[in-house]
Amino acid sequence: MGATLVEDIDTLASLSLVEAAAAVADGSISAVALTEACIARTKRLEPKVNSVIWLDEAGALEAAEAADAARRAGAALGPLHGVPMAHKDMYYKAGQRSSCGSAIRRDFRPSITATVLERLEGAGAVTFGGLNMAEFAQNPTGHNRHYGDCLNPWNAAHITGGSSSGSGAAVAARFAFMALGSDTGGSIRLPASACGVTGLKPTQTRISRYGVMPLSFSCDNVGPLARSARDCARVMTVMAGHDPKDPTSAREAVPDYEAALDGDLRGLRIGVPETWFLDGVAPSVLAAMEAALAVLQARGASVTRITLPLIPELAACSSVVSRCEAATIHGEWMREYPQDYAVHLSARLFPGYGIPATHYIEALSRRGPLLQEFCRQVFSDYDLLVTPTIATELPTRAETDIDQGPPGTAAKFMAVASNTRLINYLGLPAISVPCGFDSLGLPVGLQIIGRPFAEARVMQAADAFQQDTDWHLRMPSL
Amino acid sequence: MAQEMRELVVATASRWSGVEPPNEVALELAAELQAIVVAFEAVRGGLRFEDEPAGFEAALQACKETP
Repeated sequence: MGATLVEDIDTLASLSLVEAAAAVADGSISAVALTEACIARTKRLEPKVNSVIWLDEAGALEAAEAADAARRAGAALGPLHGVPMAHKDMYYKAGQRSSCGSAIRRDFRPSITATVLERLEGAGAVTFGGLNMAEFAQNPTGHNRHYGDCLNPWNAAHITGGSSSGSGAAVAARFAFMALGSDTGGSIRLPASACGVTGLKPTQTRISRYGVMPLSFSCDNVGPLARSARDCARVMTVMAGHDPKDPTSAREAVPDYEAALDGDLRGLRIGVPETWFLDGVAPSVLAAMEAALAVLQARGASVTRITLPLIPELAACSSVVSRCEAATIHGEWMREYPQDYAVHLSARLFPGYGIPATHYIEALSRRGPLLQEFCRQVFSDYDLLVTPTIATELPTRAETDIDQGPPGTAAKFMAVASNTRLINYLGLPAISVPCGFDSLGLPVGLQIIGRPFAEARVMQAADAFQQDTDWHLRMPSL
Repeated sequence: MAQEMRELVVATASRWSGVEPPNEVALELAAELQAIVVAFEAVRGGLRFEDEPAGFEAALQACKETP
């Protein structure tokens, strides 16, 4: 491949999703050229990232050609028209392979299509691949025994974060303009933080989960990883909203999230929890967060240090719900094929079979009252909470490899998600945006948390931050 | 206490679910359930008779921002 062609491809691939969609819509770039650029860059650099499980080059180019034909014919164009994407390999498309990052489902081909895929493709998106992920979406680091660990594009020795490891890495590497992840305890926000991209976990029930591999039906969420909050807002407007095929999805009206990104943070009240979320925080991470808070303050937000209530209750209950639900979902396979799971996964599933049902029900029963009390005590005085997404410096894959490491490795592995999992139990929306680098040169993420259905406010603050900073524009050298 | 919890989880998983410990790490993590028992003991007394799991979606709606 000639140097000029590589430069052209890299220039196209470095656009934001919103810029790419605008370029296709006004005809300055064809959907085919954009798709070819993404696939070419993926093929060239994938050995350094290992973010892709399958590529559908022919299908993607066919869809891109149809997108270009529709534009030439003067058809109405959707907000994602001709934009190439790839997704965590757990979003079902009828007849298409969906491995869920596992050996057990290596050749699984579902008979249904996920509602979110239908909505994205209905808005014009072009899907070109299935992305690496933690096995059955169940680790916060990105380790995968079956397809190989996904490699952090900033430093392959370090974790990508998980479980949406390939989604974080592929967006960071500029293979895809957006990638769906899923978030049950931090699985969108953690790879977003570790890979230096933007990732949103919406309010529980905000997006349909029909056709999406389950992990914990009470805490699972669908959401985007993209290059900016504005990109996330564009796809959120397409994806959110009730789905008759998923009765648990909320009937809440969907705003135009992108229209709410006005950069105006005057009067915004930010609380910064000093307990739990800053336990063991690394100085470089703390410095990045403080610098980010100064940016938000300069935009008109007020910042107050607070002590969060109810942490012991939330920690106790959140640790039970997803364990029990995941153990239940995997019961048949844990009896029949325990050897087909990675050590870290079967080991984490196992304790779920020893928790009494009364404690699981208790944890669920407390969820609504705890949410209401948390919101009464916190969100009556503050609009948003801000924390580091990962409090420590980013660990290496070796340091957190339960399958290969010494006893005690599990503690380091679990600590990665300590700032995210409570938010899933509460069902709150939260975004992670890049806000600097740690002393090892790995990205640091800022977590912004809102009250239920406050995605617009969360993304508004994130976008305002990104208007004044360029952390989200930094690209790893591959 | 950790050993007792480990044995309890192994027996419960086997008897109720037919699942055996897949590896040593599983036993290590089973023992750690003791911390959750302690955490639940610490928060006893906060649950009302009427509370039930169905209340969560209603709580999400009740807690959303009002213009």
